[in-house]
Order: sequence, then structure tokens, then C-alpha cells
Amino acid sequence: MKRETRKIVMALAILLCMSTFLFAAGQKETVATDAKKAEVVTLEWWTWNSEEYDEAVQRSLVKEFEASHPNIKINMTLLPTKGFETKMTTALGAGVGGPDVAFFSISSWFPKALDLGPYIERDTFDTGMYYEGFWDTKTQFNGTTIGLPLGVGASLVMYNKDLFDAAGVAYPTSDWTTQEYLEIAKKVANPAKKIWGCEILTRPFRAIWYNYGPNARLYSMDSTTVDGYLNSPESLSAYGWFYDLMRSGATPSVSDMSTLSTENTGPIDLFMADRLAMATLNQGHMLDAVRAGKNFGVVREPGVGNNQRHVNAWSMLVSIWEGTKHPEEAWTFLKWYVGPEGQKFLMDNGNLFPSIETVAVQYKDADKDYVKGFLEILNDKQVAIWRGSHPSGTKVEATIKDLWDMIKLGTIKKSEIKRELDKLVPRAQETLDEAKKTLLY
Amino acid sequence: MRRPWKNRSQAEVKEAICGYISISPWLFGFVILTFIPILSTIYYSFTRWTIMDAPVWIGMENYVRMFTNDPLFYQAIKATGLYVAMSLPIVIVFGVLLSLLLNMKIKGMNFYRTLFYIPAVISGVSIAMLWTWLLQPDVGIVNTLLALVGIEGPKWFWDPKWALPSVASMSLWKVGGSAVIYLAGLQNIPPQLYEAAKIDGAGKVRTFFTITLPLLTPTLFFQLIIQMIEAFKVFTEAFVITKGGPLKATYFYLLYFYEEGFQHFNTGYASALILVLVVVIMSMTMLVNYTSNRWVYYEGDEKAK
Repeated sequence: MKRETRKIVMALAILLCMSTFLFAAGQKETVATDAKKAEVVTLEWWTWNSEEYDEAVQRSLVKEFEASHPNIKINMTLLPTKGFETKMTTALGAGVGGPDVAFFSISSWFPKALDLGPYIERDTFDTGMYYEGFWDTKTQFNGTTIGLPLGVGASLVMYNKDLFDAAGVAYPTSDWTTQEYLEIAKKVANPAKKIWGCEILTRPFRAIWYNYGPNARLYSMDSTTVDGYLNSPESLSAYGWFYDLMRSGATPSVSDMSTLSTENTGPIDLFMADRLAMATLNQGHMLDAVRAGKNFGVVREPGVGNNQRHVNAWSMLVSIWEGTKHPEEAWTFLKWYVGPEGQKFLMDNGNLFPSIETVAVQYKDADKDYVKGFLEILNDKQVAIWRGSHPSGTKVEATIKDLWDMIKLGTIKKSEIKRELDKLVPRAQETLDEAKKTLLY
Repeated sequence: MRRPWKNRSQAEVKEAICGYISISPWLFGFVILTFIPILSTIYYSFTRWTIMDAPVWIGMENYVRMFTNDPLFYQAIKATGLYVAMSLPIVIVFGVLLSLLLNMKIKGMNFYRTLFYIPAVISGVSIAMLWTWLLQPDVGIVNTLLALVGIEGPKWFWDPKWALPSVASMSLWKVGGSAVIYLAGLQNIPPQLYEAAKIDGAGKVRTFFTITLPLLTPTLFFQLIIQMIEAFKVFTEAFVITKGGPLKATYFYLLYFYEEGFQHFNTGYASALILVLVVVIMSMTMLVNYTSNRWVYYEGDEKAK
């Protein structure tokens, strides 16, 4: 009995240990891609459902394309976002079964995208139609064009006009500064009524940081040097501003932010509940607020003096997999889908803000202030910290997480921030050097 | 002693073949989904690999870096070790106490047993969300109740000192599942032993420590190992609630592994990390197994007499 029990216990223990291995194991999935029937070519297109283009709209898009291109059929595979990442990573890593056309949303996939340069040159495809910042920042990798930018999104500050009016505070204007942001947040906050001026930033080194100056970044643009950037005077000023914001009483508590705001996408819930007078959100939230009948305005993130203004902006990179057997047909589909016709279709039938300015100005509510405000933001310089990105880049940012926590929790004095930043430099440099070993170029 | 195949009867051979055919689905699954991934993980731990490109053999570099130049590794070990030390006693002690309650002969006991087991079948993410709200410092029910009796509750998950105990206290949620196992152990204890103790005039406390607890030790041994392994694998709570913070107070090992493997795509290094965890778990399991001779009693065992 004793020995048998022990054997059973040990066997169960071994099985449980083995299950930890499985935590790391992915599933290999393959998808057949080649389906030639007579002269008709079938392309595999992997996509997902989103606020901008839901399944029905995308299926209509396919019909629209197929009607004008009878020799190309599109097999659209709609995947959940997380499943999409797993499937793409597995297929691209294995080198078989990848889609002809898909979102290349993760930087580690970039080297597996077909270089579009020769096709663009041959067809004299007009890349100048795209917003310049999005073209430069989102489609270029290691000296090649790896895709076309579908739609645009950007962070913007939404302000609740009713709360501003109740507090008797003037609305912010696009030339406002970080100090004005702080003062306004304090004036419109009403802690007794659980109304706060603005949210707690989730991370540093985004638009506001960049607005403090060219050296207010994690490391140099060539991804080699941390010293003089992470701990630069500009960077220190940005941290100092954040420190003041956290001590201002204008923000919700750290725990309130954590539990009451929406995960990863900004504090839209608090804004919609009239608890936040200002919130850094995005164009999707803006449309939500319109639908909810909120009385709000839109303004870009605050700047610093006359410094270059920045915006956190994004676009979906749509690429052709380098392993495609039908590059010509895939290019035909791609340039239609992410060109003026496809983006206009998605704008008119879905909620896409196109990455082509001449199409974007045809947006149904283009005359409304919030749309004008949003489109104006798109012309600011884009934060491009991960340009020429490498998969371990975010690890460098993780080295300053403790300092971020200390400022949020108030366990550090403002005068100690510089010393902490200096202390972090060697570790961040080591992390950067280590990360560069896995650079994909 | 096994007999050679040639000496076995046709019926015995047939029975053996049937046996192998019966286990073949499991065997196939084990080889494909467990054994090969294990071998692959061992191989990848000696490589630099980002999934997208072919792995590059770098020998022991991942392990050298881990032990000599990776403060996050030690941070994760520390947080996980503290979590195991805090949560394990909670699960064991409260599990036993709950099983004693559930072993009482009162009306409607099956209802209570079901009630306490329900949390064991709820997903970890849901539980994490629930606890986030329970322990929310400003509007959570725990601090609200504490405020009613004049106590200002801590900031729980959002305080570096309280974050780890808060996550460990979530283990309370799991005691219903282990209590059912203890209950099975309790019901295996022969009733005549209790009758004899009663005749000898032993009180309830003495009966518990001289009969119940010693004869429950095989179940305790089983639960200790299983719960210890589960504790080492803590992940969901940190991933959902604390993200490893604040100030890395809850930066657990599997969270670090996840970030390395699935966010930073350092798959080779992540493979090395997971292998070290397996070695640690196996070592701890063997240690517990080794000490079991001294404290695990079996019915009819010399030590029990």
C-alpha cells in the first residue's frame, strides 16, 4: 500500500511537471494555400474582426474585389486576434502554410514579408497618396517596403465639455503645453464627486516624452546608446512633469485606474461615466463617444514650448508573405484592398479612417469638429521608437518599470529621479545589447 | 519477475496486445504533445531562437547569463519562492479544516460539499477579476467592511508590501477542491479506531492528533506535492491583476518566462528558464518524498503503532 501510494504520487508529480513544458509548446497548424482551378487563382487572406471592419464588411469587400477581378478568388479566413498571432507565428516560423496576404502586425514577422519595391516601381504605384508619416513609419523595414498601410489610428486627448463647463474652465486648444495640461487637470478635478482631471499615463516614452525634445527617448535612434537619452535633461523634465501630475490630486488612484479603466485601450469607461474630464484615447473611442451622445472635444496631446509635436499613431500593415505562390495576384489584391478603392469601401461601409488623405477627407462627418481635430493630429510627427524594430525592444523599456512604479506610488522624491535614471542606464544598455543579438536584420 | 514472451500463453499475448492497443491513443498523444516538446525544449535551451529564424547553437550561454547576469531571474525566483511559502500552508491548513467541517454528519451536508467545491471549477481569470474587485482599496467589499469597524484597509494588490500576501490569500479560493481530497482521506480512516479512542477516554483534540492527523498523512503527502507544484506554476493572478508589480513584488517565474518567450520572442532563453523551473520542482518533490519516511503514516505501518 505504502509503496504503491508513493508510486502513484510520484507519477502524478512527474505528469504535472511535464505539463509545465506544455505551457511552452505551441501547436503547429498548416493551411493549404494552392488551389488552382483552370486559370482562376485562389488567394489565402487572413484577417480579423475589428471595429473598423467587421466580418460582414470584409466579406462584402471580397465580393466587390472578385466582381472586378474574375480570375482571382479570395479565401478569407477570419481569426480571433490572439489566434491570428499564434497561427501567423507558427506558419511563418515553419515556412509553410502561410497566407498570401495578411496583417503583419508583429515586428518579428517583418523579415518574412515580400519586398514590394519591385512591384511598386514596375507599376508606378503612387505611394505618395498615403499620409507621409504612416508610409515612412509603418511600411519600411531594413531598407525595403514590406507592406501597405491600411487605415489610421492615433492617440488623442478627448475632453468632456460638460465637466469643463461645470468647472468654468476653458477648453484646451491644440497649442497647449504639458504645464497647461497639468493646471487644467487640477482645475476641472472634483475629488469630492469622484471626478478627476485626467488619467495616469500607462507608460513613458510616448508622444508627451518626445515632445520634451529629441533626446527624451529610451535610446538613440540607431538603437545603440542608452546613456544621454534615457537620462537626458529632456527625459528628466518629462519624468518631473509626470511626478507633478501624480502628486497633483487630479488623477484617480493607481488602484482605481487599474480596476475602473479598460484594459490596454485607455480609460474609456471612466470617460464615458463622466468621471474623467480629459482622457488620452483613440479614434475608435471617439466614435463610441459620438454614438453615446457625449458632449466632447478632441485635441492633440500637449506639447513643450516650440518643440516638434509628436503623435502616437498606428496603421495596420498589410503584407504579402514571401512564401506566396501567387505574388502577382497577391499584389493585385493588396494594391486594390489597401489602395483608394478598398479603403473607401471600408470607410463607407465600416468605420475605417483611411490612410489616404484624399479619401479620408470624404469621410461622412468630415465637417464635424472631432473629425477635423483627428485628421489634423495625423500630420504631427509620429513616435517611431521601434522603427527598424527588434523583437526584444520592449525589454529595454521594462528596465525602467520600477522607477515608473515608484513615481506612481510616491516612494521616490522628485530630486531622486535623476539618480535613479543614471542608475538604470547600465542595466538598460546591457538589455539593449542583449536584445540586439536577436535583431532581425 | 517477468516471464519471457515465448513462455506466455496465446491468451496472455492477446491480452497484452489489447492492452497496448488500448493505451495507444494516450501513448500517441504523450509522444506528440509531451515527449517531443520536452526534447525540443531541452534543445532550444542551448540556442538563441526567435521562432522566425533557425535556432543558433550557443551552448551554455543562456544558463550562464541566467545565473550570472540576470537580476530578473533572481527576482522571479524570490517572488515565486515567497508565494509558495505563503500559499502552501494556507491551502493545506484551511483545506484540512474545511474537510473536517465537511465530514460532520449534519443535514444537507452534500449541499455544502457542492457549494465549497464550486470555486474549484471556475476559471482562474474569472477568479482573478473577482478578487480584484473584492480587494479594491477604495470601493472593494473587504476594505468597506474593515472601514465599518474603524480599520483603514491596505491597498492590497497595489501596495508593494501587501501585493504578494494578497495574491497568496487568493489560494483560499482553492481550498474547496483540496478539501474534497482530504474528505476522501478522512472517510478512509477505520471508524473502529475512533470507537477505541472513545472507549479509552480520548478527547476530540487528542483523537485528532493521534488518529485523524497521522492517518491523514498519506493524503497530506499527496496534496503537499500537488499543491506545491501548482504554487510554483502561479501565473494567472500576476498576469491578470498585478502584471508582476508593484515594484516586481509579484513578478513570478512563469510570468517572466511568458514575457521572454511570448512577448520578447527570446524563445531559446525562455526554454532554459522553464527547464530550470522543472529541475527546481523535481528537486523539491524529491525532497518532500525523501522526508516522507519520517512523517507519513500508513495503516498497519510500524510507525503508526
